Amino acid sequence: MPDSALDPVSASVSAPLSGEGRAPARALRLGVAGPVGVGKSSLIATICRALGAELRIGVITNDIYTDEDARFLRSAGVLEPERIRAVETGACPHTAIRDDVTANLLATEDLERDFDPLDLVIIESGGDNLTATFSPALVDAQIFVLDVAGGGDVARKGGPGIGRADLLVVNKTDLAPHVGVDVAQMVADASAARENRAVVALSRSDDASVAELRAWVLGVLTSFRAGAHVAQDPGPMAPHFHADEDGGYVHSHDDDGRAHDHAHAH
Amino acid sequence: MTSPHALSVAMLLADARLPSGGHAHSASLEPALLGGMPTGAVPAWLVGRATTVSLVEAGTAVVTARLFAAASEGPLTGASAGASDGAQVADPFDSFGLADVVGAWAARTPAPALRDAARLLGRGYLRLARTLWPDAPAVRALVAHDAVHGPLPRAIVLGAVAAATGLPAADTVRLTVYDDAQTAASALLKLEPLDPVTPARWVLEACAAAEQHVLRVAACTTPEEIPASGSPQTEGWAQAHALLSQRLFRA
Repeated sequence: MPDSALDPVSASVSAPLSGEGRAPARALRLGVAGPVGVGKSSLIATICRALGAELRIGVITNDIYTDEDARFLRSAGVLEPERIRAVETGACPHTAIRDDVTANLLATEDLERDFDPLDLVIIESGGDNLTATFSPALVDAQIFVLDVAGGGDVARKGGPGIGRADLLVVNKTDLAPHVGVDVAQMVADASAARENRAVVALSRSDDASVAELRAWVLGVLTSFRAGAHVAQDPGPMAPHFHADEDGGYVHSHDDDGRAHDHAHAH
Repeated sequence: MTSPHALSVAMLLADARLPSGGHAHSASLEPALLGGMPTGAVPAWLVGRATTVSLVEAGTAVVTARLFAAASEGPLTGASAGASDGAQVADPFDSFGLADVVGAWAARTPAPALRDAARLLGRGYLRLARTLWPDAPAVRALVAHDAVHGPLPRAIVLGAVAAATGLPAADTVRLTVYDDAQTAASALLKLEPLDPVTPARWVLEACAAAEQHVLRVAACTTPEEIPASGSPQTEGWAQAHALLSQRLFRA
């Protein structure tokens, strides 16, 4: 392995820089994932509103049908429109944040170059399902978003994003009385599923919860800049079923910690 | 260290799971369908691509590979030796003619939307190539070129990979034709309801239609010899598609 500081080939590769003891030279890349409709775009707008005055922020969106989310964020007026870019995902938002992050990485590099220096680049996943999480090849940290309207039991069901994202946001807590969800119980379930990793119960109209979210982002950024932050992979997909001529079998991708590659039809 | 067989490299490059950004592209299919082409015309359209625009891409890759092969016996060797010890990288491209190949490709690809998409794919390919073949002179030369002059189209990067891995010219042509057809076929299943097996047959038919051109294109050695078989309707559809706000694919 050549010394990247001296090697023109490696030096031009935007390798993940976060790691113990190594101060990064680029923006913190923060992923936002979660099912359709939980308020990912709205959460990003909230972060921009809370931190836009003190941080230089850029946003990449991954829509299923291109730029709906980018247009929502531009119209929210929380960032200069040029700092919000949409990336197409070929109807495969899951692939774009995990199996092949190329399009998102290129867009992120372009944004960082065009608005150098940026402090924070937020990458919004196209709304997918409970198993979709970001690869650490793309982001340094990630937020997984649920909302109370999706049901109080979702947090308890777990999954890689709910269980092991850097932060779980339980969104739209202001709707809880209307949908019969006990927010405290949902947060308690989530905390149990996450072995006490961070959870924020958020409503954009509740200033205290927004302050909590803001403090979390700043904490990660501080840690990232100090070279102390290590990107975590929430992990592979949950155990799932494969049909075959013998009737199929269930397997888990983290058996024995082995790398395990195979094709999935999406 | 032993090297993989060139056929293994070709299979890797042709695999849709290859992480180089290709899954967000439809090889001009979505622009065609949104432009009004009926689904029933897709098989003929695939044959049309395989015998026109794909040959432009293939010829560009073949000529690029030849340039690197020739340069490895000449001036490029010195330039890349300079790169390997970390010294500044000389820009050998004026003398060895890469700019002429890029120019020939661009002249045969008049739609800016298609050139942009090809350069985006080229960046994804180069990102992969510099990880897989970091010491190959052809790959190093493109990385250095990219840093100075901006992104190169995919066909150029493919040519450098072919030079780096010993991919034969005829197989470079077949790979280009197959990749284009398979990219469109995969995209079709996201755009139209269809038995997934059906477009697989169309891919093979497109490859078969290109076969009679393979040796001719594989024999190209100069930019002037790259086929100039254009597809104006595809260019027009690509430009219209680039302005839409509702699309699944980049191009």
